[in-house]
Amino acid sequence: MTTGAEKEKGLKELEEKQQWWWVAEKARSKRLDYLRKAVWKKGCQGGMYAPGIKIDLTFPQLFTEAWKENEGEPLMLKKARAFAHVFDKTPIFITDQAQLVGCVGSTPHELVWTWQSTGMINEEIYNEQGIIPEPEEESLKILADLNDYWAGKTALEQLASAVDPEDAVKYMSGAISAGTPSSAATYATKDYHYIFRGFEAILDDIDQRIEETEEKLQGNPSPDLLPLYEKLPRWEAMQTILEAGIRYANRYARLARIVAENFESDPKRKEELLHIAEVCERVPAEAPRNLQESLQFDHFVQVISRYETWEVAMPHRPDYFHGPYYDRDVNIEKRLTKEEALELVGEHMIRTYEIGIFQPRYGREGLQGIIGTWVWTMGGVKTDGSDACNDLTKAYMQAARLVRVCNPTFSFRYHPNVPDDVMRECFECIRHGLGYPNIRNDSVLIPNAMHWHGHPLEEARQWVNQACMSPCPPTKYGCQPNRMASAVNTAKMIEYTLHNGYDHVVNMQMGPKTGDPCEFKDFEEFFQTWVKQMEWQTNLIVRFHNVGRAKDPELFSRPILSVLYERAVETGTDAVDPENGERGNSWVTAFNWCENIDSLAAVKKLIYDEKKYTMAQLVEALRANWEGYEEMRLDFVKNAPKWGNDDDYVDEIMLRCLRESARHSKEIKCTSGNNVPFLPENMTANIYWANIVGALPSGRRQGDALYDGGISPGPGLDKKGPTAVLKSCAKIDHISDGRAFLLNQRLSPTQLAGEKGYQLWKAYMKTWADLGMDHVQFNMVDDATLKAAQRDPEQFQEVIVRVAGYSAHFVDISRKTQDNIIQRTVQGLG
Amino acid sequence: MATCSECKGFFPLEDDPTTGDCVKRVVDPRQAYYQAKPVEADQDASTCASFQKK
Repeated sequence: MTTGAEKEKGLKELEEKQQWWWVAEKARSKRLDYLRKAVWKKGCQGGMYAPGIKIDLTFPQLFTEAWKENEGEPLMLKKARAFAHVFDKTPIFITDQAQLVGCVGSTPHELVWTWQSTGMINEEIYNEQGIIPEPEEESLKILADLNDYWAGKTALEQLASAVDPEDAVKYMSGAISAGTPSSAATYATKDYHYIFRGFEAILDDIDQRIEETEEKLQGNPSPDLLPLYEKLPRWEAMQTILEAGIRYANRYARLARIVAENFESDPKRKEELLHIAEVCERVPAEAPRNLQESLQFDHFVQVISRYETWEVAMPHRPDYFHGPYYDRDVNIEKRLTKEEALELVGEHMIRTYEIGIFQPRYGREGLQGIIGTWVWTMGGVKTDGSDACNDLTKAYMQAARLVRVCNPTFSFRYHPNVPDDVMRECFECIRHGLGYPNIRNDSVLIPNAMHWHGHPLEEARQWVNQACMSPCPPTKYGCQPNRMASAVNTAKMIEYTLHNGYDHVVNMQMGPKTGDPCEFKDFEEFFQTWVKQMEWQTNLIVRFHNVGRAKDPELFSRPILSVLYERAVETGTDAVDPENGERGNSWVTAFNWCENIDSLAAVKKLIYDEKKYTMAQLVEALRANWEGYEEMRLDFVKNAPKWGNDDDYVDEIMLRCLRESARHSKEIKCTSGNNVPFLPENMTANIYWANIVGALPSGRRQGDALYDGGISPGPGLDKKGPTAVLKSCAKIDHISDGRAFLLNQRLSPTQLAGEKGYQLWKAYMKTWADLGMDHVQFNMVDDATLKAAQRDPEQFQEVIVRVAGYSAHFVDISRKTQDNIIQRTVQGLG
Repeated sequence: MATCSECKGFFPLEDDPTTGDCVKRVVDPRQAYYQAKPVEADQDASTCASFQKK
């Protein structure tokens, strides 16, 4: 038996060795330890699902069964009834020791399959080893029947026939874009102020709308009344969902009571189960009254939303919305001790981590190791501009270090009045190697939201990360129901500039024929050609998304999301209808952005300024993937200026590129008529597109990992220290030059040990904020640990790293991504 | 023919005893849990591996 003193000593030793994953295991409660280890990991390991993970076939079968029975009904109503059937009939479970319930999937080891996106991708499922439930032959027959039925009916298949075929082919080529222009695979901000009133209150709103509408329809006939007939089935669909959602929660209440009264012999657990029953009878039907109800309410909303679609992100601000309940329970009424509250908060993260959604291969490669970029936003300011940090902000940070999950992760909204104890909690998470929270700057991002999308100040102050990085207010007209992040592989901009719009990797004319670069008379002409390619690529992707968005209510429809949007309930419209008042929060995710900058700088210096090589030589070397031109390639790597070293030569090119893009961002419009600014970031796009982007003037060969993204300098190419990186990045206007700018930084855990380490980091953060930057995220795991994890992954299962926009367990990401992270420069502070 | 209603794990709905939940304890390689699956009271349980006569 270990004594308290021995445990303390053991913990201290592990802390000194910075083996934070073992620290977590020893420091957390028995309940959290059980629950954390009980989760079946749903993110992929090296692109493959872990043994034992299976597809949930119950959901698509139940859904399809009800769908067929409701053929002929309007889409939204048909879909709502199908979901209601699922929520009534799908098996549910309660894990031992759990206090929160609800999972996507009928058993803990199942992934749900969102087959309504595209039939083409659905075919992939046949080739996925190990995930087909036993008996396999029977399951394959079920899958084949489902695929046969849904072929041609999925959102993207229908959309493909609605867009310009040439656009569709180019979009689908996989060379210039990723993601789906449909809410079948998407993310949505949720109108939490509205939702937390309770489903019954929303039902009352709908009843009132229906009553008013029916009364109007009995009045004098007029063409103005005709659209009202279409609203009635939509409201009926919403009622169906809300009532089914309440019944779904009540099923958990019933199960908890049955277990408590018939199976459970431990009186303490029996009491907990009866309490779970009370909670699930209360929420989401009515507003929560305490922390457990609030977290449970939230979790039910997240679960049912993920049945509706592959929600790749989880825009939320849980410390803000649940904070008052924590305060009441822990500080005022003292119903819960801090430790009890910490268990609930830790479990909230674990229950979220448990959610699994089948990802097609492109999703798994772009989001290695995780299910989605479920970034919870913490801290920040209130609507009046005062500090919003609370005790729950700290509790989430503490819980994160105990449960060490990568779904969700946190993003912390920094502002000048963040209390020191909250900053310390953030730093401890980073020091423990979680890679999160990333730090965002309210002083920049609030005016940024107003500048680009016209959000009023009070709403902009409420922003949450819509996905990894894009701020969006979770308000009535601020909420964005569909991704509308037009993801662009921008490395193709420089590539097409050099090859007259032709893509030698996919062998087709992709971009416009902008001319043979050998004929360009100077760098200015070369740069203006880049601008043309940038505009073409952006236009294609945004117009494709616009059509997808405009058609979404007709091709996909989201009855579940609709009940979570006040504006949809109020107007009797689908949440994804772009005409129900959405202000618009769209952006272009600029993947592989810095390749353009370093490549343009190399062309300017070595081709035009120094005339060391001709353009013909460069094009020839690139077509040969630099093979046979190694000396020349090294010249382009070593002797051309690189972004991130406070070198105006290349930094000016960054500014020109961003400002041309920002100008164009105001010329293109989303379906709400609002701007579509650029947002350079990467996820693991640098690996995903490594084989698809041809050789570049930066010296990169086809197949080499691209840079890790955003405005982060190329790995190992930022040679002048962290201040030079910040100075380069600070030349960008983080309000008007784009939507947000991802910056990866790698710090030394040795240097940042102890109090001195915290003070160094805090000073760095002040400089970062004073320079007007909007984002920074840190990796603080040393090379020795990462290399040891590569050699012996079994021993380092819980080591976490920041990839880009999200964190992942190091052993789950590909070797190429691992190497790319190790290759990043470790910056010394101070 | 054994039916679900004859099983210890069957819990009928109060307002409609013809249907109910099949509740069973499952222990998998990572966790133990209780699962509820909606069933009909007169559903054939003769091949059910979890069937336990009341």
